[in-house]
Amino acid sequence: MKKNLAEISVCCCLFMLSACGGKSEASYTQPDGSLDECTLRFSWWGGDDRHEATLEAIELWNELHPEITIVAEYGGWDGWTEKVSAQISGNTAPDVMQINYDWLINFSKDGLGFYDLYTLDNLDLSGYDEETLLFGEVKGHLNAVTVSMSGRGLFYNSEVYDSIGASYPETWDDLLALGATFESYGLYPLDLDIQTGGTAWYLAVVYVQQTTGREFISMDGDLGFTVEDIKAALDFYKSLEDNHVIRTVQTRTDEDGNAALYQSAEFISGKIAGVLEWGSAIGKYESVLDEGVLESGPLLTDGSGNSGGWMIKPSLLYAISADTEYPDEAAEFMDFLLNNEQCAEILGTTRGIPASSYAFNHLSETGQLDGLAQENSIMLSEADTVNVSPYMELTRMKEFYNTAIEKVSYNAADTADAAQEMYDSITEYLESIK
Amino acid sequence: MSMKKKRIYHNPVGVRKSTGLLLIAPFIAGFLLFTLYPFVSSLFSGLKISEDGQLGLDNFIRIFHDKTVIRAAAVTLKYAAVLVPLKLIFSLLTAMLLNMEIKGIGVFRTIFYIPSILGANLSVVIMWQYLFTSDGLVNQLLELINLSPVSWYGQPDSALAIVVLLRLWEFGSTMVIFLAALRDIPKDYYDAASIDGCGRVRAFFRITLPLLKNVIFINLVLQTISAFQEFSAPYMITGGNPMKSTYTIGMLIYDEMFSYMNPNYANAVSWLLFIAIGLIIFIMYKLTSKFREANQ
Amino acid sequence: MKKLPVYLLLTAISIVMLYPLLWLIGASFKTNSEIFSSVWFMPEHISFDAYIKGWQTVTPHTMGYYFLNTFKIVIPKTVFAVCSSVVVAYGFARFDFPLKKFFFALLIGSMLMPQIAVLMPSYMMWSDFFGFNFLDTYVPLIMPSLFACEGMFVFILVQFFSGVPKEFDEAARIDGCGTLRTLVLVLAPCIRPAIISIAVFSFLWTMNDFLSPLIYIQSVEKYTLSLALRLSVDSTGQGYEQNKIIAMSVIGLIPSIAVFALAQKKFINGITAGGLSG
Repeated sequence: MKKNLAEISVCCCLFMLSACGGKSEASYTQPDGSLDECTLRFSWWGGDDRHEATLEAIELWNELHPEITIVAEYGGWDGWTEKVSAQISGNTAPDVMQINYDWLINFSKDGLGFYDLYTLDNLDLSGYDEETLLFGEVKGHLNAVTVSMSGRGLFYNSEVYDSIGASYPETWDDLLALGATFESYGLYPLDLDIQTGGTAWYLAVVYVQQTTGREFISMDGDLGFTVEDIKAALDFYKSLEDNHVIRTVQTRTDEDGNAALYQSAEFISGKIAGVLEWGSAIGKYESVLDEGVLESGPLLTDGSGNSGGWMIKPSLLYAISADTEYPDEAAEFMDFLLNNEQCAEILGTTRGIPASSYAFNHLSETGQLDGLAQENSIMLSEADTVNVSPYMELTRMKEFYNTAIEKVSYNAADTADAAQEMYDSITEYLESIK
Repeated sequence: MSMKKKRIYHNPVGVRKSTGLLLIAPFIAGFLLFTLYPFVSSLFSGLKISEDGQLGLDNFIRIFHDKTVIRAAAVTLKYAAVLVPLKLIFSLLTAMLLNMEIKGIGVFRTIFYIPSILGANLSVVIMWQYLFTSDGLVNQLLELINLSPVSWYGQPDSALAIVVLLRLWEFGSTMVIFLAALRDIPKDYYDAASIDGCGRVRAFFRITLPLLKNVIFINLVLQTISAFQEFSAPYMITGGNPMKSTYTIGMLIYDEMFSYMNPNYANAVSWLLFIAIGLIIFIMYKLTSKFREANQ
Repeated sequence: MKKLPVYLLLTAISIVMLYPLLWLIGASFKTNSEIFSSVWFMPEHISFDAYIKGWQTVTPHTMGYYFLNTFKIVIPKTVFAVCSSVVVAYGFARFDFPLKKFFFALLIGSMLMPQIAVLMPSYMMWSDFFGFNFLDTYVPLIMPSLFACEGMFVFILVQFFSGVPKEFDEAARIDGCGTLRTLVLVLAPCIRPAIISIAVFSFLWTMNDFLSPLIYIQSVEKYTLSLALRLSVDSTGQGYEQNKIIAMSVIGLIPSIAVFALAQKKFINGITAGGLSG
């Protein structure tokens, strides 16, 4: 009996392993140059505005292309990465997907994880400049196309700044000097976090990039900073805390718990009067203050007109599944989402300010571009920006930054030790994943 | 060759030994169909040391040198050691309170279960902030009685304490299992005891506790398992901060699996956790067996 | 008036247990900034907009539709889980058979693995289950419950069964009851509170389950309530109206609370009642 059972279970197991285990090697369905009748799955995450607009855009598509039915698969951000991970490793991914920037590394290290869009004629890329396109390229394959660009900028609570007669900082020295003024009122001019946003390290990187002219991490995943650069960044962070520009990590944690800044009484009441945030995500801060209170401030410079070091990245991209059976049709639909003027008008800025010049120009004409996101985007386009490497965005990397900042803030390590540790961890990790 | 000893199966007269097997057949089928493959597949993934499928123990060995895992294991042990006994005691006492035959007790039972229904609801996270942030309710109360405020979220031990408190507050399932068992104790046992001049406290130790041995064991096992697998409470309340002091093994497995895209390592850690919980439960089983079997 | 202190104690604990729910209901009438800056549950204004918008959802379907979807999973799953667990637990508790300890160890073992570790292989398994693709159906969510795959339920029931005196079985046998009739007529009624408990657990946990439906269900038409509740939550974007999400979650809690309130009424003394009927 015992033997029988063991045999059965081993057989069963082997059978199932063979049945489900083997992932077929990338054998793409080749484009055939014609649009056939088919059903395409399109997935995205987002909030209400994005869902409503996208569903409406799909209706428009169905009128234009009744032969190609689009099935919408959408939801909130929570768990979306898990869902897509399962789909991609199970070869069941939707034909067209909205993806996050760092997924290019996570799901397509060799450039074969998504369909190579360079091979598809139905997708018109003429609305993109070379540099923007490159964001979606992995090892020579165009894995994804940027939907919108975004960069972090500084936003301030104008009521608070006005009430104490402070003006928005223009240089790093201005920022450091603001601390003392705000301290006398029991307020803080800015907030930096070590949660998922990780703005603490981000601002420190901008500072060091601007002063040294070196890039933190290259697009190919090489660490550009030296140990001294990292130490300089951590020292800069520490000086912000010491000068009362930002709260220490412990004070911040005590006051806000695990909540995001826009969900904290400190920000809503104006005690914390500034935030560093992506232009594409500033709305949630804007909406908890009275209308018009949150204003965009200048990108900090060294005072001699050097505005370098500030960064930009694609906030979202579209990709086509490597397993799609309908590459032409998927490309046609993606082209519609990115370039079609009517579609652009419906989608508006629900996925940020469009990177495709066709969509962008049309939205400028219809006057749909305004607000903080647009101000931020103009400011960044005028600055001498650096591209955020997808490697910089990886969750594991953010963990290294945040650990170092936390140690420095809690005085658990001096900046030299923390810098060395971070340098070693980053070098080792980048080595292991490339 | 030793002689094959024939085992004797203790079944009621007229019952074949296959009857039991037949009854548990659904479980055996379900295990083979749905459980075995994911388990074995996860084990293979944990043993995988290169992209082309070479197997080895490297991932498992790496775990013992990984400071983050060791730290998380220590946090998890501490968390379980504090939470499990507190939760059992609190649940049992509350279940006894809710076992009383008084008017409106059903309403109270329902109310006491509500935290467990809320689970990971946003309101819970926000409530904890109102309670434990630096000018939260708890610190205001402390000031009222002239104690200095506590840095709840910002310090390692107190941060772990507020996570424990959340799980203690969501005690409903444990309480319900106790309550179900208490409902099975005939009332005349207590009546007889009180005629014998037994006080309430003595009745608790002489009647209630011995009769609840099995159920205490169930809850001990179930709570130990869930404490060792804890993920969502610290994830919501502290995010593992400060300085990884509330970062549990469950969170680490999640991060390795989905945030760092490192499934092989995540599976190796999972299997080690699996073995560790198994061992702990086996030890608990052995340690309590005498006590559980006494006057059965 | 001996009961007064008991009521006072119960009420005091109740406030601690109930306040977050009260606050949640209040918050469904608040603006984002009010929600995050006031611990007091009373809103400044009462308007049912959030409930109306929440009920309609951003999808082509209303919340009622997602309730129905959820019940299509929860009800069969609970019935299957209870029946299969009771039968299997009865086998473990009352009979002796080859490899009993081994199988019981398997049962306990199946409870010990973190769900996250088996999530991906399970997904792969269901995408090609003996040649069938069960993704985007409710099969992966329901079918395992037919086979007593929730080890914890069996484990609980085994312990409760073993608390019932063996004389009950013997008496039933003398009365001419077969194996299954003994279970249904005599033993199951004895541990009624435990059976109700696992039914309640199965119901509530399936209602709240988010990760499994998220992974297995693709089409919005098949979304469960837990998926619909998070449909608009996007922390990466421009923000969202919290009160609408909260209003939806308040509505979503009603069945769970109602089911618990009804079930706890059935928590009557099992052995005495069962003993009488047997």
